Amino acid sequence: MGGGAATPHSSSSSSSSSSSSSSSIDSISNNHPSLSSASSSISLPRNTKRSGLSTDLRLGPSISTAHIHNCSSSAPSPRDQRVDWPPIKPLLRSTLTGKADNQRQATNLFVKVYMEGISIGRKLDLFAHSGYDGLVTTLSHMFKTTIFCSDPHVGGADHSGNYHILTYEDKEGDWMMVGDVPWEMFLTTVKRLKITRADRC
Amino acid sequence: MNYFPDEVLEHVFDFLTSHRDRNAVSLVCKSWFKVEKWSRHRVFVGNCYAISPERLIARFPRVRALTLKGKPHFADFNLVPHDWGGFVYPWIEAMAKSNIGLEELRLKRMVVSNEGLELLARSFVNFKSLVLISCEGFTTDGLAAVAANCRFLRELDLQENEVEDRKGQWLSCFPDSCTSLVSLNFACLKGEVNLTALERLVARCPNLKSLRLNRAVPLDALQRILMLAPQLEDLGTGSYVHDPDTETYNKLISTFQKCRSIRSMSGFLEVSPLCLPAIYPICSNLTSLNLSYAPGIHGDELIKLIHHCRKLQRLWILDCIGDKGLGVVASTCKELQELRVFPSDPFGVGNAAVTEKGLVAISFGCPKLHSLLYFCQQVTNAALITVAKNCPNFTRFRLCILDATKADPVTMQPLDEGFGAIVQSCKDLRRLSLSGLLTDRVFLYIGMYAEQLEMLSIAFAGDSDKGMLYVLNGCKKLRKLEIRDSPFGNEALLTDVGKYETMRSLWMSSCEVTLGGCKVLAEKMPRINVEIINEYDQMEFGFDDRQKVDKMFLYRTLVGPRKDAPHFVWTL
Repeated sequence: MGGGAATPHSSSSSSSSSSSSSSSIDSISNNHPSLSSASSSISLPRNTKRSGLSTDLRLGPSISTAHIHNCSSSAPSPRDQRVDWPPIKPLLRSTLTGKADNQRQATNLFVKVYMEGISIGRKLDLFAHSGYDGLVTTLSHMFKTTIFCSDPHVGGADHSGNYHILTYEDKEGDWMMVGDVPWEMFLTTVKRLKITRADRC
Repeated sequence: MNYFPDEVLEHVFDFLTSHRDRNAVSLVCKSWFKVEKWSRHRVFVGNCYAISPERLIARFPRVRALTLKGKPHFADFNLVPHDWGGFVYPWIEAMAKSNIGLEELRLKRMVVSNEGLELLARSFVNFKSLVLISCEGFTTDGLAAVAANCRFLRELDLQENEVEDRKGQWLSCFPDSCTSLVSLNFACLKGEVNLTALERLVARCPNLKSLRLNRAVPLDALQRILMLAPQLEDLGTGSYVHDPDTETYNKLISTFQKCRSIRSMSGFLEVSPLCLPAIYPICSNLTSLNLSYAPGIHGDELIKLIHHCRKLQRLWILDCIGDKGLGVVASTCKELQELRVFPSDPFGVGNAAVTEKGLVAISFGCPKLHSLLYFCQQVTNAALITVAKNCPNFTRFRLCILDATKADPVTMQPLDEGFGAIVQSCKDLRRLSLSGLLTDRVFLYIGMYAEQLEMLSIAFAGDSDKGMLYVLNGCKKLRKLEIRDSPFGNEALLTDVGKYETMRSLWMSSCEVTLGGCKVLAEKMPRINVEIINEYDQMEFGFDDRQKVDKMFLYRTLVGPRKDAPHFVWTL
């Protein structure tokens, strides 16, 4: 997602993403008269032309006491994280940027992984993978074996003899084979992983 | 002329539902004025500061249904400070004191307090309908008061409000004797609801036609609720997340098949796309679909869904549907009248966005389209000219290019000709929003051709005062004009000050008007409130007339400067 990168159209936008996501819910208890809590405590030069971007500090050489008016240089472009552009309602804005924020700031999901016959386990961050493919690849390297799950498109070539099946314990305490449900759904139910010998399944 | 007894006149006036018609009727003669006054039950106040509650009550003593609008439209986009105003409490208080038999209250962009809701609930015995749109200032405690005390409540409709959710039991406050609900919409609430109370409420309200749930209502509860209310016509799902390989989901599939009356759907605030096929049977009957709060549905799934929606008249969607998806809409939804495409990635670089291609496809495929809100990456003049030719029936046309001053990417020209074609072709155009690179020329066209235009929104457009003057001189029916970040100054503002008494309001922010210009205007027009909103530099108010005004909002009024203005609002 575009950060506050400076673009030719605006001097560095220092509006933090927190101001956009806090605008809808927290504003009720916000006693501040101005919505842009970031910059309202800063006194700006009196004659500075503000572009309507309330959190834009305009920390560039363009600040002076003369009247500045340069509409096109302050017009919003993509990547500006403004609260007043594009013109969508606060609830929609927080819904959409909330989803984006969740994706950006996804917490980790470390789960324990045991291989049958080995008493010391490992830990793995499931959020660091985008699907079963990556997960199986990582585990295959970690445990130096060929691993299969129930997804036929995932997993290594068929080696005779030494291969394993990937299973997981779900929220209900049952042990299931990995790969049957969509990845996103798997992430919500998995508690830990176990790599079992193929002849057990 | 006076052969008709008053009762006959009143009966005839009953057939007049439009406010404008009734206003016109009041002007005919004194006896018509009197009859109309005493029989007017529905009143619309477009600007709550244009009149006072007391004068409203004196003018229409039998008012039963009141609509009030508060903050300027640009408040929706964080351009107006939260404490600017628009408080509904004085209205509720005045009506309670005068024993008005209020039954319906519809508020938009107003500040509503718990005290106000409590007073409302206690004061109006026959209160039936509360509709709050883009309001703020209350918590679920206020809703609890309404639920508990309004014994004949039919409608509680909360649209996109900012409500502090006390996670309380407001739903449980509907007494067992409440069986009259027809419409319940709490989709904008963020907190948990008592699911048992909700299900029991639905079960005892046989006339419930419209139900919009919030995120806290899971899919299994949705299934149980639908079993209790197969008569629903409008459904907003809450969280639509589940493992499709379960009995619950299978039950939902058969439940949806029983809901033959659903014509309108929304919600999907969280969604498992694999569960969407359950609604396909309903899609074939849908006339209205709002997926603008469903970022979890990706383009491909949206397209699959649209294939089933042949009867759609209204579609609100996110731009992740893409130009290709809009092509599918164009070939499937031949009855489409209103389309809104919102930006799914407001700050993104434009991976999931639409361009003029999607709009052109829609214009070819959907001849009945008359209302459009379209956020896109880019637009060409050629595309707009084609759209204008294909769809001459637009009444509302709002186009927002995410890069606000982007030119036609093919010709590198401003978009004047494109928008000019729209206003020239669409003779019934009432509302227009512009964006992209625009010069004074587009305003020349608007002034020349947009004869029915009532509302115009301008951002980052124009070159000089001439632009604004073209509009003020040309658009005779203009009621609301809102302008931001455009180079219009005192000359444009002051050339025809009488114009503002024919309009509801004018908003100008980050333009070239100065304090001195605003002062001149205020002095010439005593029946216009000229408000300067200055969040910063409060100490330096009014010292320099040459100072540019950051935000100015002016509106006609019969009651002079308002007394509830906060310290950062200065009425000249």
